[in-house]
Amino acid sequence: MSWLDLEQLLLTEQPARPVSLAPSLQHGELREQALRLAAGLQTRGVRRLAVHLEDTADLAIALLGAWRAGAKVLLPADLQGQTRQRLNPHVDLWLSEHPGDANLSSLLDEPLPGAILALDDCALTLCTSGSSGEAKLIDKSLRQLGNEVRALEHLWGAELGQACIVGSVAAQHIYGLLFRVLWPLCAGRVFVRRAQPFPEDLQRVSLEQPDFAWIASPALLKRMGDNLDWPALSRVRRVFSSGGALPLPAARQLRDNLGQWPTEIFGSSETGGIAWRQGGELWRPFAGVRASLNSAGALRIESPYLPSGQIEQTADGARFEADGRFELLGRLDRIVKLEEKRISLPMLEQALASHPWVEDARLGVIQAHRAYLGALVALSDAGLHALRNQGRRTLTGQLRQHLGEHCAALALPRRWRLVRQLPLNAQGKLPQAELETQLYAPRTQQPQLLGQREADGQWHLELEVPLDLAHFTGHFPQTPVLPGVVQIDWAQQLARQLIAELPPRFCGMEVLKFQQLVRPGDRLQLSLRFDASRGKLYFAYRNGAAACSSGRILLAAAHA
Amino acid sequence: MSNLQLEIKNLIIDALGLEDMAAEDIAADLSLFGEGLGLDSVDALELGLAIQKRFGIKIDADAKDTRKHFANVTSLAAFVSSQQHA
Repeated sequence: MSWLDLEQLLLTEQPARPVSLAPSLQHGELREQALRLAAGLQTRGVRRLAVHLEDTADLAIALLGAWRAGAKVLLPADLQGQTRQRLNPHVDLWLSEHPGDANLSSLLDEPLPGAILALDDCALTLCTSGSSGEAKLIDKSLRQLGNEVRALEHLWGAELGQACIVGSVAAQHIYGLLFRVLWPLCAGRVFVRRAQPFPEDLQRVSLEQPDFAWIASPALLKRMGDNLDWPALSRVRRVFSSGGALPLPAARQLRDNLGQWPTEIFGSSETGGIAWRQGGELWRPFAGVRASLNSAGALRIESPYLPSGQIEQTADGARFEADGRFELLGRLDRIVKLEEKRISLPMLEQALASHPWVEDARLGVIQAHRAYLGALVALSDAGLHALRNQGRRTLTGQLRQHLGEHCAALALPRRWRLVRQLPLNAQGKLPQAELETQLYAPRTQQPQLLGQREADGQWHLELEVPLDLAHFTGHFPQTPVLPGVVQIDWAQQLARQLIAELPPRFCGMEVLKFQQLVRPGDRLQLSLRFDASRGKLYFAYRNGAAACSSGRILLAAAHA
Repeated sequence: MSNLQLEIKNLIIDALGLEDMAAEDIAADLSLFGEGLGLDSVDALELGLAIQKRFGIKIDADAKDTRKHFANVTSLAAFVSSQQHA
């Protein structure tokens, strides 16, 4: 199939040039629909079109049609309320598969004539989260996009041949858009319209084709399972992976199963493609990409995929070899990637802190089967009140719901640690490593000891009941109350730390009284006295003026 | 609640790190994805792997509606037990 540059796609109808599968679409139909959409957009005076379409053939029509009409296209990452609100000032019309938005067929008019698209006037705006946490809009001209797909074809076109392009990633982002849609359009390779995020579906769709290549991501590739027909799948011409780091063991597993290393693409919405590699080797910059380091050791990119003269500073630490290849050393800022989704921790922390129950909050990443966020939250007085009267699960549920308006579901913290104050250091900072230590630790089972003194054989301890005490979970879900057995246990444990000659064996309790409930965040005064002649440990908990509990713990020698 | 359903609920909690959840919080007919428990597609991948590993079964990659079995705990339990007896 002959190559068509992006700007030529609407010029003339190309017979027998397939575009997509299921349902199939030919170039002539694509062109016709795009030109009709262009007319519809012009009639309606739409200059700025937001497009969110999971059907990538429709997406291609929308892009080409908008460009032909001279309209700018905005590609939002999602259709959440917050996203719409933020982008609305930049948008005349929303085109999506969502019921409230315009759909493609409602916008078609009598077609405009075919034409060459203007390389520098046609523009696409990608939306991603910037380092400050604010949504970042990134403009791409048709020229930049065209340069990039030509470079991809130059590297891998011959090898892909007429392979059908099957993707597991969304095309709202630069990688999916280039690899699943724009590159195959120009190359005349057929693509599957919808993303196939599950391995079983990817296999089924692929094996229906004589030749195929995958546009995938680590989220899928590291979870392929052993239930697939690997001998049949090893026909795959090439496996692309981008969006985040593919762990070497996952890459090796694929190599063993498919007989080829996956091809990893490194880049970002801002920079476009930067480099590629296979099998954990060093990254090779794409032709024409000039990569260097700034004084902080972060990659700086000049590239034909950027506006001419623009230098893009990244926050990715790197180390170069003499031959120009490089190794990545991790992010130098507080943007993290969870399953290829860029998450700005500062943005979510601000969003959390805007809730009336939250004084301040910090987020960190927990690495488990999958990586997720953990939140260390300092509760406000209102938050403490909510915790004491509605329980932990209600509180964290409400905070998750609140955050859900600001971010995708996968960024919602799954682990919560509640405190009165963040453990800031002398510089007023909470280093990320310290934060992660706190998040990884299991919920405490011990009181916080604030002070202790002894007078006339009696110990006086000042305690705080941690908000996060593990015992509160089942006791009780809606109204956390410190169990009496835990109070006795604490009294005995603390006494053993203070009183050397305490006999080891617990023999029972006397005159046990529970007078007032003890709840998360309470300040308690515990008095302890050991009467050695009777083998009795006297304990009493008070909360200010109110007596909470008291009793005598009978203790005896080990072999009595 | 059957033992298998309880086992699946605990598997979901452990495999997906849902620390504040207990098995009794996940109703057998609660939708696992989207509205409901709110799991996402990566959870679906993780859960598929965890189920195959725990119960020693294989998800049939040729069946078109495999992921329908992941709708809720009831359907997942029915799927696991049908595979175990297959």
